[in-house]
Amino acid sequence: MTLQVKQLSKQIDKRPIIEDISFEWAPGEIIGLVGRNGVGKTTLFRTMMNHYVANGGEVLVDGTSTLAKPALQQRLFFLDTQYNFLNNYRLWELPDFFKLVYGKFDQERYMQLLADFKLNRNSQYRRLSKGMRALVNMILALSSNATYIILDEPFDGMDVIVRENIATMIIDEVADQEKGFLISSHDLNELDGLSDRVLLLKDAKLLHDYNLEDVRSKAKKLQLVFNGKEIPAVLKAHSQVIRASGRVLVVVITDYTPEIDQELRALHPVLFEELPLTLEDLFRANLAHDTGYQLIK
Amino acid sequence: MLTTQLDRLIWRRHRKLFATMAVLAVLICVSMTFATISGLRYVDTTQIVDVSIRRWQVYSDDQFVAYTTFFHFMFLGIGAAFMNQDLKDNFNQFLFSSGFSRKQVYWAKLRIVLAVLVGIVIVVTGLQYLTYWVAAPAGMGFQLAWPGLLTSWAYGLMMSFGLFSIGWFAALIMGQTGTMILTLLGFTISLAGLDTIYDNMLHGGPFHLNGSQRDWTIILTLLIFAIVLVIWGAYLYNRSSLEHNGEYLLFPGLKLPVYIVFVVYVTGLSLFNQADFNTVLITFVVTVVFGYIWLWRPRIGEAWHQWRQHQ
Repeated sequence: MTLQVKQLSKQIDKRPIIEDISFEWAPGEIIGLVGRNGVGKTTLFRTMMNHYVANGGEVLVDGTSTLAKPALQQRLFFLDTQYNFLNNYRLWELPDFFKLVYGKFDQERYMQLLADFKLNRNSQYRRLSKGMRALVNMILALSSNATYIILDEPFDGMDVIVRENIATMIIDEVADQEKGFLISSHDLNELDGLSDRVLLLKDAKLLHDYNLEDVRSKAKKLQLVFNGKEIPAVLKAHSQVIRASGRVLVVVITDYTPEIDQELRALHPVLFEELPLTLEDLFRANLAHDTGYQLIK
Repeated sequence: MLTTQLDRLIWRRHRKLFATMAVLAVLICVSMTFATISGLRYVDTTQIVDVSIRRWQVYSDDQFVAYTTFFHFMFLGIGAAFMNQDLKDNFNQFLFSSGFSRKQVYWAKLRIVLAVLVGIVIVVTGLQYLTYWVAAPAGMGFQLAWPGLLTSWAYGLMMSFGLFSIGWFAALIMGQTGTMILTLLGFTISLAGLDTIYDNMLHGGPFHLNGSQRDWTIILTLLIFAIVLVIWGAYLYNRSSLEHNGEYLLFPGLKLPVYIVFVVYVTGLSLFNQADFNTVLITFVVTVVFGYIWLWRPRIGEAWHQWRQHQ
């Protein structure tokens, strides 16, 4: 079982918003989608879900296009956080719609989760706070029992406790390898420890498809202090400087080889310390160029 | 009637709209009937319905209307509201990813809304006739005949369907509710001007049609127009992309055709209504300028300031 996004492109007002996006996604995977504001994350989701008509490409589920066989879309769940129809309905009414589309929608679980999170089933969706709406969206997603669940900024507005509960639930959901999640987030810390893979969007294109385990095995984040004020050539060539404070440098080297290690040690740094590598470090290291993210020049 | 999951989904979504419309139709039409009946006391006749109801022609007079005019407004309004509501409330997002093809969704929506509207017409008409029968003044008969009734119903339903298709299509291609209502009102009112043109054409020139023939020619033309709009709507619905939601036209490719139709239509109305040359010319210029500003929204003020800064 796989979902394949194949060369998906979308232009709005003749401007390419996403271009030639291709990736594969299997149940059991939690994929993070990152990229700066306006890079096309939500447009990618909307195009995948047929809200926007694609200018090119397609979405295939088990090798069959969702346009050729629309019923396959029922294997995907996506609730647009900005534009959805839930506003005028009370929470107890929502399953009426979702169970007509998602054959395995678990109404009992939906009601149970509402109760667990102390959400009043008689509340109108539009009267809920931002965080509570995000929570209802998440409960709908989990109750849908769809194979591929797309979540757009799902933790936006949630408090820390709820966020942690939800993250745990997501991890539990994928344990039986029957569901997969594709999660976009601006807060890369949210995806840390949750995603197996990260897709990086930049300039409307899919710049990288990271397997985080591989990346972490190759990359290193170092805190260094050298005697001189000049940044050594080896760092200029192979690293991204995350922070520079006086002579203290924090750098990320995405492809850390024994040769680089030898060169650095040969410079006899005053301080040479490895720091835990976060997703945010990787994001900064890869998006530093041309995005205004540079911290020093 | 609700045979599929999709039908049930559409019904669940719109059942409040249908119920509201049904209650409104009953209240308005039955109260209008009571008002007509109360006026019958002052009429010197023994029959509410004339003998002409036995002929195969549309029956309508001050005492009895076989097919109530209110239904035309109901079809027009519901056609527009039904399509517009799904766009405005973002239900289209849900429908487009619900696992049903756009084609299935479009025809299911059309089938359900027409079935409900015809159902309302049947029930309300039945109630109206019943009211006549029960509440007719003493000594006044109420006798109906199939030829007049069937002809009136067929004519009325065709007219209603024609207006429905205009509302339906307008809501399908327009992304702004307020301006959609204004456009729809403007176009519907202008149809009265079109009626005069039709009248002139069908009575004079190569055609010498009597009143009944003229009415049927108009209604058949409207029916063909309605069928074209509904089929065209199916084609467009399949290509609807929601990034244009909130714009005047949901299909940027329609700007030029709408512009041309608007200019030709309004200028044509002026020309065929025997306006003088100056009036036609002014109408043409005004529609050309207004249509351009309306559809393309050029930032004239901004351009003017930029031009002045360069001076």
